[in-house]
This record gives sequence, C-alpha cells and structure tokens, in this order.
Amino acid sequence: MLEKKSEIHSLLDPRTKLLMVLTIATVVIGGSNLGVYGRTKYFLSAIPFLLFLLEKQWKTAFLYGGAYIIAVLGESYLLHYTYGVLNFILVAVCMVVTRFVPGFIMADYMMKTTTVSAFMAAMERMHIPQAVTIPLAVTFRFFPTIGEEHGAINQAMSVRGVRLGGGKPLKMLEYRMMPLMISCMNISDELSAAAITRGLGSPRKRTNICHIGFTWVDGIAFAVCIGAWAAFICGLMGR
Amino acid sequence: MNQKLQAKDFITIGVFTAILFVVCFAVAMLGFIPIFIPLLSVLVPFIGGIPFMLFATKAQKFGMTTIMGLLIGIINGMMGHGIWAFLLGPACGLLADLIMKSGNYRSSRKSELACGVFFVWVIGNYLPIIFTRAQYREQLITGGYGQEYADALMKLIPDWSLAPLGIATVVFGFLGAVLGKTMLKKHFERAGIV
Repeated sequence: MLEKKSEIHSLLDPRTKLLMVLTIATVVIGGSNLGVYGRTKYFLSAIPFLLFLLEKQWKTAFLYGGAYIIAVLGESYLLHYTYGVLNFILVAVCMVVTRFVPGFIMADYMMKTTTVSAFMAAMERMHIPQAVTIPLAVTFRFFPTIGEEHGAINQAMSVRGVRLGGGKPLKMLEYRMMPLMISCMNISDELSAAAITRGLGSPRKRTNICHIGFTWVDGIAFAVCIGAWAAFICGLMGR
Repeated sequence: MNQKLQAKDFITIGVFTAILFVVCFAVAMLGFIPIFIPLLSVLVPFIGGIPFMLFATKAQKFGMTTIMGLLIGIINGMMGHGIWAFLLGPACGLLADLIMKSGNYRSSRKSELACGVFFVWVIGNYLPIIFTRAQYREQLITGGYGQEYADALMKLIPDWSLAPLGIATVVFGFLGAVLGKTMLKKHFERAGIV
C-alpha cells in the first residue's frame, strides 16, 4: 500500500475496494463459463481494467486486458484440439490468466490506491480489532517487498551458478529461501521500529485525516457486487 | 515476560504470513497439473515448514499462531478457496498455538508437532471436491478446465482419500519442521540470529 499522500486517489472507499476484491476473486475463480453466470464473469473481469484506465495506468490496463482476451480465446478455441501434456499446460496458462489474474489485478488496484492509513481507518469503522488489521495491512504491504528481495537473491544466486536445472533441488530451495527469510526478518525489524516511532501500538485511539465515506460511485460498485453474488449463488444452485 | 501482544508482534505475524503465503502459493501452482493436486498435501506442508519454524522461534506469546492461521484463512478466502479453507485456517492455528503453549513456547518437539497440525488447513482445499463431487466436476468442465483435467482430478481424489491426505499434511508438516529446524541450526544459529 502507498505511503505517499500525494498519490491518494479516493474514487472508491477502501471498504468498497475490499468487497470488490472479495467478489471478483470468489466469483471469477469458481463456477462455469455458461449462461448468465459466464457473462457475469467477463463483466467482473473488465472492472479492474476500467479502474486502471481511470487511474491513467495505461500499461497495466492494456497488458491485463490483452492477456485476458488472448487467454479467453485460447480457452474457448484451442483446448478442444490439444491432448495430454500440451493440454494441461494450456489449461494451466489460460486458467491462471482468466481465473486468478482478475482478482490479483483488483487486489493490486486496491493496494496501489489505498494508503495504509485509509485502510486502517476503514477497518476501524468496521470494528475489526487491531490484532487482525495490523498484521493484515503488513501482509499486503509486504508482498511487493518479497518480490523485490526474491529478484535480488535470484540474480545473486545465478551469478554463483545456483539455478534451476542445477540438479540439486534441495540446495536450490535452501539457497533461495534462507537469504529471503533473513532479509525479510531484518526488514520486519526495521518496519516495526519505524511503526513504533510513529505511534503504532500506543494506548491512545488512532486519529487520521483521511476522508473515508461512501459516495454514489460506491453505490454503483455495491450494486454490481450484489448482482455478481446473486449470479454466483444461482450458478451454485445449478440454474 | 509481557504476555500481551505488542505492535512488534503484529508486524512479525504480518511479515511471516506474507512469506508463508508466497511460499505455499508458489508450490500450489503445480496443482494445474492434476497429478500434483494430491501431492500438494505433501509438498505445501513440507516446504512451508521452513518458514513456520522460523516463525515459531519468534512466536513466544499465545495468539500469534492463531492470528496467522486466521490471516491465512482470510487470504485463502479472498483467493476463492471457499468457506472450508477460511474456517480451517483459524481452527488449525488455534490448535497449533495450544500445542506450542503446552511446551511453554520453548520445546522444539512441540513446535514441530504444531507445524504438522497447522498445515491441516491445506485439506480445506480438497473438501469441496469430496463434499460436492458431481457439482465440482461439472464446474471444472463448464468452467474451461476441460474434460481431461476434470476426469484426471476426479480419479486422483476418491472419497476415501481424505484420510490419507489429512495424515499426509500432518506427517509432512512435521517432517518439514524437522527440515526447517536443521536449516535454522545451520544458517541462523551459526550467524547468531535466532
């Protein structure tokens, strides 16, 4: 999640974004592609694309949109003509893009457009205890960090010749995971020192200047989510 | 020692949840090849045991492992793994926490056992296949996985397989923890970190 105040863009309330992540992840991953339900899935998958367009993040938006369309086409036309291993690989690639990526992109949108402060404020409004919100905020904030660290370690290890296909899977695991865990632990210590300096965990109630509240845009988003859940439940009932 | 959870503990939980989740997710990607689906109950706990054991050295207070289980459940729920994965996360976390508490958070044998119990949440991902088999198969086929994948998966996970899969998560969670402990000894204790 963002730290810089200048990049805050509060088109949607953090709670709405959370609901949309949950909706897209659940509805798009589960269920069939047929009928009304199938169309709901395409519709939902388009939402993060539109949101990123509104944020003027052209690259993310079009990369996602392009990959999604190619995967949908591949899924509907190519799968019937392939067998065996090729079929499974194709299924895997298309599945990841059409099932998981919409949810990821939506979660990415949530993280890129929500400050930690706004997230915490929204969670507080929902009366979720700090014992859950602080670790959850840290977890989401930490995913990109792990990615960066992993990339750096990967480079360092391939310089030393520890790479995939080296014939020693356990060694590979050890030399990737141990440095990652050590550096993550150090970052975690730094993070908690920084957070405590800023007053996290003080007995006082947390205050902040974020504007949290529902607008008509949130209203539309809620309507879309309710519709998607209705379609999802109908799909489960076998309609 | 102060038994109340502090801000530092919350951050530790958050960081380790992220690590554990990334590791498990990377392993679970193999599941797109059907033969690996039952094997996930072996691989995920086995490899996840390494970060868990490091977490166990940091989790010296009651509640930390429970919260981690809850977070894993929430994230799995958000990823669309369904209600079972969401409920099993905190339940297994609490059980693991109780086991570690019984060893006063000092006993490494208890931590290894707790690791085995903690990873039972992996089973949550198989439950929909077994409880709603016909529906699940239908969803796979109409959902674009294709007939071949669906049939292969159904053959690989028969109803009776739940028990061996569950046992596998515990056993390999335990073994993963043992592996994790060895690695910690090798790298961390020598460097004086733990």
